[in-house]
Amino acid sequence: MISIPDLRVILIDDNEVDLLLHEKLIAIQQISRTVLAFNNANKALEFLSSNITLPRIPPTVILLDIQMPEMDGFDFLEAFDSYPARIKSQCHVIMVSSSLDYSDISRTYANPMVVKLLKKPLLAKELTAAVTEIFRDFS
Amino acid sequence: MKENRIRILYIDDEVHNLNAFKASFRRSYEIYTANSAQEGKQLLKSIDVHIIIADQKMPVSTGVEFFNEIKDTLPDPMRILLTGYTDVEDIIDAINKGHIFSYIKKPWDEHELHRTIQNAYEIYATRKQLKEKIVELEKINDELNRFIYSTSHDLRSPLMSVLGIINLSRLDNSVTDPNGYLNMIEVCIQKLDGFIQKIIEYYRNSRLDVEYEKINFDHLLNECISQFKHQNTAIEFQVTVDQPVDFKGDTFRISVILNNLISNAVKYQKPDEVHPKVNMAVKVEPHKATLLISDNGIGILSEHLNNIFKMFFRSKNNNKPGSGIGLYIVKEALNKIGGTINVESKYGEGTQFEISIPNRNDFDS
Repeated sequence: MISIPDLRVILIDDNEVDLLLHEKLIAIQQISRTVLAFNNANKALEFLSSNITLPRIPPTVILLDIQMPEMDGFDFLEAFDSYPARIKSQCHVIMVSSSLDYSDISRTYANPMVVKLLKKPLLAKELTAAVTEIFRDFS
Repeated sequence: MKENRIRILYIDDEVHNLNAFKASFRRSYEIYTANSAQEGKQLLKSIDVHIIIADQKMPVSTGVEFFNEIKDTLPDPMRILLTGYTDVEDIIDAINKGHIFSYIKKPWDEHELHRTIQNAYEIYATRKQLKEKIVELEKINDELNRFIYSTSHDLRSPLMSVLGIINLSRLDNSVTDPNGYLNMIEVCIQKLDGFIQKIIEYYRNSRLDVEYEKINFDHLLNECISQFKHQNTAIEFQVTVDQPVDFKGDTFRISVILNNLISNAVKYQKPDEVHPKVNMAVKVEPHKATLLISDNGIGILSEHLNNIFKMFFRSKNNNKPGSGIGLYIVKEALNKIGGTINVESKYGEGTQFEISIPNRNDFDS
């Protein structure tokens, strides 16, 4: 269980089954009550844009898939990089992928916005550990 | 313009030469003529010729000058120089500057010129074919790369979803499964995934550039062992590393080799063995590293020893699951980095692989 009261998780994955799986895992592990699932990275960006005007942006974990049609995980990161610092600083990106592709993996590690890369299938233990690690210094 | 005929442009300032050439060769070839380099260049803008013959002695610009001028914009046509003078300087100049295929003396001998044209065209056609093949190969290469990429993603992604569902069903206890069907599904999925990973490994080995970096064998071996330890917790692993000097090699390929061999040593154990063992010994010398990986497993039938490195070969004396590609990848990876492998095995007693890998550490500099 993770005790960040208003922590929310944004899921971005074109695979509906994985979205459901990750949502359930977050519920079972009691990571957060607020899960926002997007099957398309553009919609997630739109949502994040609408957050810019909020007086307070809640701490956010983004589980981001790499390979997606239209806008892939790296495209998303590039677009999100231009967002204001006050929203970016609240968002912590965990990449989630089944990719074994060397360049995908090294690109992920090279990106300063990515906190961690987790392999699919996402394991409850690993997810909790990754989120705990992010907020270790906050609580 | 017939496609299968040889197209020739002949440039000469003497009109009677142009006419004589046409008279001799017009039945065999498609001939275009020009009486100056300038006119020749104009013609080349609209007509795609295979062979260009030019006279050396022309006012304004000589044959060599003309060839030199067009060689960058029109590299493909074969160039033949024609001259009445047998001036060595001219010949050397022509060959060096204008990339000339051949040099013909005036007055030309019809048979000789004919032969020269034929030879020139043969080279032209071969070069063209080669270029087309290169384009084709590059395309296939590119497609193969994309195929590997989508194999690694499109095939694996749904498998990982299935594994995720199985994991979830265990976490929330939502599925009653008294016969353990979910476990069976999981085993099958992992087997399939293992095979996909082997294929990706094989292609990465054959396509990735070899890169040399420092390798710490102690670290690398323990990393490999930690991957396979859980498959058979009874196995006692023994690692001896004698690395008095630095070793440089291709980390990806060496770990592929070790992973496959250690995986085999773990997998092919005797079910009734009380003390299953896997021993690994590494000795690093300035110019090579020698690795010994031995086990007291089921061993390999002597008649199979010659075949184990062949693609998709699987021994019939065991009922272990395998793809028959692991040792093939080992051999291929060793070929890439200039290593060798030897195997000794006694059926029922165990197997030992001895690998030798060149040390790319440059001690001389």
